[in-house]
Amino acid sequence: MEDLKTKLKEQIIEALNLQDTKPEDIDDNAPLFGEGLGLDSIDSLELMVLLERQYHIKVEDPREGRKILQSVQSMADFIQSKQPA
Amino acid sequence: MAERVFITGVGMITAIGDNVTENLQQLLAQQSGLGYTRYIDTIYKDVLPVGEVKHANESLFQLAGLPPQEGLTRTTLLGLIAMREALEDAGISELNSVPAGFINASTVGGMCDTERVYFDIIDPGKEGSFLQYIDTLDCADCTQRIADIVGFSDHIATISTACSSSANALMFGARMIKQGLYSRMVCGGTEALTRFTLNGFNSLKNVDKQFCRPFDQQRTGLNLGEGAAYLVLESESFAKANNSRILGELSGYCNTNEAFHPTSPSPDGDGAFDAMRKAMEMSGIAREDVSYINVHGTATLNNDISEGKALERLFGTDVPPFSSTKPFTGHTLAAAGAIEAIYALLAIREGLIYPNLNFSEKMEELQITPVTTLMQGVAINHVISNSFGFGGNNASLVISKYEG
Amino acid sequence: MKGKCYIQGMAAISPQPTFEENCFSSPISFSTTNLLPCLEPDYKPFIPANSLRRMSRVLKMGLAASLKCIADSGIKVSGPIVTGTGKGSLQDTEKFLKEIVTYKETALNPTPFIQSTYNSVNGLIALQQKCTAYNNTFVHRGFSFENALLDSMMLLQEGEDHVLTGAFEEITREHFYIKSRIGFWKEEQIDSRELLSHHSPGSVAGEGAAFFMLTNQPTEKSYASITGLKLLYKPATEKLLSALQTFAPAVDAVITGRNGDSRFDHFYDTVEKYFGNTPQIPFKQLCGEYDTASAFGMWLGAHLLRAQELPQAWIGQPIAKPVNRLLLYNHFYGEQHVLIMLERV
Repeated sequence: MEDLKTKLKEQIIEALNLQDTKPEDIDDNAPLFGEGLGLDSIDSLELMVLLERQYHIKVEDPREGRKILQSVQSMADFIQSKQPA
Repeated sequence: MAERVFITGVGMITAIGDNVTENLQQLLAQQSGLGYTRYIDTIYKDVLPVGEVKHANESLFQLAGLPPQEGLTRTTLLGLIAMREALEDAGISELNSVPAGFINASTVGGMCDTERVYFDIIDPGKEGSFLQYIDTLDCADCTQRIADIVGFSDHIATISTACSSSANALMFGARMIKQGLYSRMVCGGTEALTRFTLNGFNSLKNVDKQFCRPFDQQRTGLNLGEGAAYLVLESESFAKANNSRILGELSGYCNTNEAFHPTSPSPDGDGAFDAMRKAMEMSGIAREDVSYINVHGTATLNNDISEGKALERLFGTDVPPFSSTKPFTGHTLAAAGAIEAIYALLAIREGLIYPNLNFSEKMEELQITPVTTLMQGVAINHVISNSFGFGGNNASLVISKYEG
Repeated sequence: MKGKCYIQGMAAISPQPTFEENCFSSPISFSTTNLLPCLEPDYKPFIPANSLRRMSRVLKMGLAASLKCIADSGIKVSGPIVTGTGKGSLQDTEKFLKEIVTYKETALNPTPFIQSTYNSVNGLIALQQKCTAYNNTFVHRGFSFENALLDSMMLLQEGEDHVLTGAFEEITREHFYIKSRIGFWKEEQIDSRELLSHHSPGSVAGEGAAFFMLTNQPTEKSYASITGLKLLYKPATEKLLSALQTFAPAVDAVITGRNGDSRFDHFYDTVEKYFGNTPQIPFKQLCGEYDTASAFGMWLGAHLLRAQELPQAWIGQPIAKPVNRLLLYNHFYGEQHVLIMLERV
């Protein structure tokens, strides 16, 4: 799980081109949108693309996406729930 | 005192008809043009509905009165068909009898054809007739091809402000007339379906897999469409001296920007509110004078909330009858403003309010619901036509009955 | 279009160091590949990092030039924003076209699609400035900036105090190749500084962003006034001549869009001959050829009118003073022709 979260943080930084951010700057439970990293709705679409391209998980409903993309923790939980143990 | 601007000719082609008369027939029959593409090469061809014009390019050449030839894109052909009808409708046989300008609108130019040959174009190992399409990559190509074929030799321009493009083309033409630069301008837009735009809107998760449901609680997005429409605008003094048949007046318009987000409107519809309010102010009409609003109503989650809020803020508890005609035509992007301006004229002439197809459940954010049945025999004097788009570009037009 | 408007502020990003202070003291930058790229500034002082991270090249160029122009004008309240671009963000268009194929139409990133729309720069400027006023984008090759200018002049006539007007264009390697297939560029590789002495088909590709704050009143700081604008679509030589006769009185110099393309030089010859011994000031050796190059020409002309000088190294000749009235004449591959009258304030 820890490995997954670290990898996810690196992938988020790369996908969203967060140039001055390092993986350790992102708190597992901090909100990604609004105050936290200051991401917006286009970033949320890009994060869904990340899930699809890297983890082969498709999120169809943007409303569902909002819940999954709350934080790195919620993304990691979602990825794990979709992968065979 | 600036001249009034009259509409003296119209022409169009959409998923519901090859000309204005056919469009009216389908509106009256409440017959949607949405379906599945026959002409775009996409994995979504059986998945995402579109409002496609029911002709292959070969048949469009025929409708445009031209022999098939390389270099003329579907965008150009659709535009030509609508343009020829508009000029004929206005009784213009000799285009250069008076100086006339042409303001066109396009969002992706000839992408419909260039996307098929793009990888050949960039491959130095490939030669062939596809090279004829190189110049069709931009938005000016369709404008100039149409201009050259029908004979515009004076002022030409192409506008691209996403979904409000042709509403802005009409506005720009009207302003040129009011400035006294021209007494006749032909304005509108043309748009062909492309794999590029379909995937673009789909990547924004803005496309409904069902037929689009504007202002419905269960809506999940738009359906793209294609088509073209042009309106002949003339100054009052010219139209009278020329004995032009006056179809209506472009009595008000306004262009505003949301300045909120690259692809989303503000939740309270600030830009839409301002655009409608200022267009009505210019037209000199009060709220109770508005007989019908042809809303932008794309059926995306954000547009309909924002536009609906703007309507409630502007009209309070007395929101005029409104409907979106996107479930008939699909969202035709750059052509939408001009297509819907013609629908506004038809509403006035025929005393009609079109039904907002596919509506069943009121949105929880709003108190208002659209008109769902065809209303006939209604006295319609002023119609507001909305076009809102990407980049926060909003445009509202007021089209009014000509009283003589 | 006649009427008066004043250039109260301006900024340009171009292949020359025009975005820097004292840019005229720098040597002229050049290329020997027939592609003259912009000298891009550091965008960080102009654009917040959180916005910058997603923006492609021409968006950054357009936005930074517009913001510097606004700052230069000293005007705080936002007004209408009108721009022109022939091709918009080519980089994003190319990227989205490729990703559709690479990812087989699935899992597509929306950013290149959003940024490929031609009005995205306008939207960004409005967003940055929180500006809800009129907003329009023209996309018509050599009439893109020209129609934006016409729209702006009409807005001033209609009662606006000021309008932000600009143009932006980029050239990519891929688009350079595409246009080489239909003869846009010279076949022989030349030194861009010697563009005008190479009479052969084609020109040298360029790019740039230039913005102007136009006002209805002059101030001490105004660069120049724009007093006339005439667009001519595919004119025959006679039509060009008759436009010159009705439009252009005697001028002190002509800013000419000459670009070394032997196929269309006759138009520039016609104008040169019409004005007899009037000095001709070329600018495409500085910025290359592109849809909205006339915006760079106007930037150069406005500088000349206010400063009454331009370095000889840039334009190849000394300036005979005073310069009170300039005509800018440009055409794009023989199709879209423009005459812009500029006067000293």
